Amino acid sequence: MTAKDPSTGKVWYRAKREYFEVGLDIQGRMRYGAWQIKEILDLSLPPRLSRPERFLFTLPPDTREVEVGVTLYYCLKDHQCTPVRQTVRRLRYPRL
Amino acid sequence: MRKTLALGALVFCFLGLIFPLQALAQKLIFPKDKLIDNFDEFVQTFSSRRCQACHPRVYHQWEQSYHARSLVDSIKRMASFFAVGIPKEWQKPLNKKEMLKCFDCHLPQIRYATDRLALEIVGMLIEAQKARESGDKVRFQKAYSRLSRLNITCYACHNIVVYRASPGLFGKPDPQTIYTSTPKKIKAPHATAFAPTLKTAAFCAWCHGIYVASDGEKTMCNTLSQSYYHGYIALGGRKSCQECHMYPPGRGHRFPGAHDLDMLREGLGLDAEIRGFRYGVEEWVPAVDVEVTLINRAGHRIPDG
Repeated sequence: MTAKDPSTGKVWYRAKREYFEVGLDIQGRMRYGAWQIKEILDLSLPPRLSRPERFLFTLPPDTREVEVGVTLYYCLKDHQCTPVRQTVRRLRYPRL
Repeated sequence: MRKTLALGALVFCFLGLIFPLQALAQKLIFPKDKLIDNFDEFVQTFSSRRCQACHPRVYHQWEQSYHARSLVDSIKRMASFFAVGIPKEWQKPLNKKEMLKCFDCHLPQIRYATDRLALEIVGMLIEAQKARESGDKVRFQKAYSRLSRLNITCYACHNIVVYRASPGLFGKPDPQTIYTSTPKKIKAPHATAFAPTLKTAAFCAWCHGIYVASDGEKTMCNTLSQSYYHGYIALGGRKSCQECHMYPPGRGHRFPGAHDLDMLREGLGLDAEIRGFRYGVEEWVPAVDVEVTLINRAGHRIPDG
């Protein structure tokens, strides 16, 4: 989720949520080897359920316009992320 | 001269017609108890190319699948298990029983290889990973090109693992039979038999879930089937793996998953309500409220492997 100034591109606010599984060995330590993993800490998105997320933030007092974008990425590897869905909206704050 | 040319053309056409038919009619024979020691013979014996002549469309789909890359796509993980996991952490000898903890899913036909050949393949995986880590592209490419000839072939699913979902009921598959998902009688240059397991989620679950080796060791490459049964099915989902990953047009033996954007879009929904307002009494600071709802429409947890 990113909120930025549409004219300069300056980012006013950025936040993210991540969903994944943490593999744990028999002593509860995070591991990567399939042979080491005996338990999981499930932080993924479960099937047939929806998950709500809330982002509430303020902007600099003189902000007149902001572009807010929400992008859902699927990351096959750390640096190999594909945007799957996106919603962008431009908000205006007229001078009071 | 013209007559000779015409006759030559006729013979050429005739031979052209006869040879492919002969190739099609050639009986497919697979080793029963014999173990193969030669790499090329091993590759050729179980190669999906043997099925290509009669099943070109399916072959083309499979070629694009990750089943066709089952070794080269997992070099790092498997090399790590063979170089560190078995010999150093477990302090066990690197034999076929231990190798099967990867290969039972990634290369099921390994059961027909000698211990020496299995070790040769393990050596290639370790060599490929070492070459990749050291940035030696030539060495890596050499190992990679050999490994890319090894994969989950037609024979693996349509014979070797076909009864895994229910071995008690069906017993062992006959090595000379190609098992199909249709009860219809099929004319083929090989024996065929109907295996109802092929259409079930249980068939996929053997590998696409927590793998349990013959000695009881659990290998957790992925946990798809667990979330399928205890998440999706438990909450009223009723589709099999095949109904999403195989039956829709354009999917088939390609079995697209998370590498396919259409599949990701089908499985993941996003609804975002974005609203601007002014916050704080008398200060009226510009503020934003974003309410996001993520929907997992897949038959398993996301992400998973």
